[in-house]
Amino acid sequence: MTTVTDMVERARTSRVLDVPATVAALGSIASFVLRLAGAAGLDKGATYRLRLAVDELATNVVMHGYRGGDGRITVRGRSGPGGVQIVIEDSAPPFDPVEGRLPPAPGVPPQDRRIGGLGIHLALTSVDEFGYAHRDGRNISTLTVKAEGTDRCPPRP
Amino acid sequence: MPLSVSLSIEGDTTVIELTGELDAKTAPDFHRTIEKAAGHGTHTVEIRMAGVGYMASAGLRSLVFAQQKVANDVTIKVVGAIEPVSRTIRTAGLDRSIVLSDE
Repeated sequence: MTTVTDMVERARTSRVLDVPATVAALGSIASFVLRLAGAAGLDKGATYRLRLAVDELATNVVMHGYRGGDGRITVRGRSGPGGVQIVIEDSAPPFDPVEGRLPPAPGVPPQDRRIGGLGIHLALTSVDEFGYAHRDGRNISTLTVKAEGTDRCPPRP
Repeated sequence: MPLSVSLSIEGDTTVIELTGELDAKTAPDFHRTIEKAAGHGTHTVEIRMAGVGYMASAGLRSLVFAQQKVANDVTIKVVGAIEPVSRTIRTAGLDRSIVLSDE
């Protein structure tokens, strides 16, 4: 049963999450995103896509953005009947995921592929809308998954 | 959610069974098991993933690592992956070298 306290707690905690940029914090980011997806009533597929996209971008900030050094990631979320919008902010060196993506190269043997760039490719193909800006020394990525979004990578027939 | 990893040998197949979530935090456990499995020298390495509810690109990295560790004539099978997980494997193009099967 959801109590009023739960609802207040959820409203209070699910809007902004500020965590250290560490692998250990990725689980908190995932929980935050899953709560927002639940609040927006996203279906299983859309929820999975949203979680994957945020996880890949946040992982990239942890592993490559701050290059293993100290830093923080701020995740803001808004959910409504139309879907969920997530904004990920960090103060690592400027990095535009759209330029850093690496689509799979069919001719390249798997062992020679850069899986890191592939994570960003996964993220960008999982969301319905993506935007990037660099403002006041911060990387700002905005992701939207719509409640009735179309899967841009549908299963093969 | 943590990942549980088990390793066994069934005839000429090394079986790795994964349950939980495969991401940047848990992939190192899978990585270590792959190293052990590669040492078994069986002709097939079967990775049972029906119990994996979520996989990030860290899991892809582990699968690529598995391909690098085993001999050329060893078949790597991923069995029972849920749709979004097998979609991720296909998006990376790994289904060209890894056999994806439902059972």
